[in-house]
Amino acid sequence: MMKKIKIISFVVTGNLLLSSAVLANESDSDSALESYNRTMYNINTTLDDYIMKPLAKGYRAITTPFIRERVSNFFSNMREPATAINHTLQGDFSESGSSVGRFAVNTTLGLLGMFDVASGWGLKKNKTGLDETLAKWCVPDGPFIVLPLLGPSTPRNAIGQAGDAAADPLAWGDYYATFGKDWQRYSFYYGLSALGFVSLREKKLELLDDLTSSSVDAYGTIKSAFIQNRLKLNVCADKDAQDAPASYDFDFDDEEDY
Amino acid sequence: MKKLLALVFSGLLAWSATAEAAIDANKAEAFVKNLTQEGIEQLINSNVSAAEKKARFTKLFNEDLDLDFIGKFVLGRYWRTATPKQRADFIDVYRKLNIQTWSARFDEFKGKHFEFLGTETSKSADQIFVNTQVPMPEGAPASVKWRVKDTNGKLRVVDIIIENVSLAQTARSEYTGYIQKSNNCIECLIADLKAKLK
Repeated sequence: MMKKIKIISFVVTGNLLLSSAVLANESDSDSALESYNRTMYNINTTLDDYIMKPLAKGYRAITTPFIRERVSNFFSNMREPATAINHTLQGDFSESGSSVGRFAVNTTLGLLGMFDVASGWGLKKNKTGLDETLAKWCVPDGPFIVLPLLGPSTPRNAIGQAGDAAADPLAWGDYYATFGKDWQRYSFYYGLSALGFVSLREKKLELLDDLTSSSVDAYGTIKSAFIQNRLKLNVCADKDAQDAPASYDFDFDDEEDY
Repeated sequence: MKKLLALVFSGLLAWSATAEAAIDANKAEAFVKNLTQEGIEQLINSNVSAAEKKARFTKLFNEDLDLDFIGKFVLGRYWRTATPKQRADFIDVYRKLNIQTWSARFDEFKGKHFEFLGTETSKSADQIFVNTQVPMPEGAPASVKWRVKDTNGKLRVVDIIIENVSLAQTARSEYTGYIQKSNNCIECLIADLKAKLK
């Protein structure tokens, strides 16, 4: 009997110690994460200033809006399989079917997705991904983290991105065999991926320039906006979450003592 | 006597509760409709100089946005410790910076329009959200919610929420974070914001 009590008290105090250690660590790790995030944000910004932004500007200079739209459509069509799979995982079979239809029509008649023929047929684009699926399954988002090169994210978002990338036909790779030599295959694949990133960056040129020119703390602004934007994803089957007021309906009154 | 006092007091309470009249949803929606229409006609689709557009926008912005109210929220707990001059300076530079940033972006709205999706109640009785969306060339339409406040019958916008991102909340995080990091120096924030003005 005594032994049992000893064990229980040991476990209890052990747990208490552990949980207080966890609590203490949490605030430490919060500030550690924050300082990592800021550092990584600065590294990313420097890389962006020297590599991505000049590439995006150069890309804009040598292409017309028509060409850029074809390129953007091509990459967005490659995301259609991930969208189809995830609509299924979310139990939305009709949307999944329409994604499959879009991919089939646009890849063939739309010339590898460069033209969105399917939209004209009533198959409207309705993008989703693994991140949204996990959100609907009530998987918590985790803290805000800045990923190397990829930028603002959260653990769930990162897993979602990786999953979607794996469902991208460009990553399957069999058709690169036509190139024969390994280096040709790799350069084609990496070249194509790089074009995808440059195309994405080009669309954000004005937005990010505006942000850095009008903000006294661009990192703080991006973090706040990113977290708020993600809150709209967090509507899982949880009843409480659905009854909670919208995140943007915060107290906003004259009498409020801020 | 006690009973009488209680009666008078509860009467006063009831009176003050009705004094803060709930905002009229139809009026709020009509107000935002009018505002976006004016904006699109006068700024986006009209063929006048950039300077004239900025002048028109400034007028619209000052009339239809309650920046004194927004500024107070945006400065967060530092509003209380700020001197009257700091408060006025902050509101002034915040106003100018907003006008500068938005004026540079009129062209991005070319060919776009707002679709109205009704209203949504807010926790505050004198405020309401007017829900709109802007169809985008690619993918889903962008959601834009206008938080409208009724101040003695005069309607004004107090926040704009784009894709769930509140502009007031974002500015508040940025500015209060900045002041905190610079040892509670409100003056430093105002100086840095002034430096952003062209």
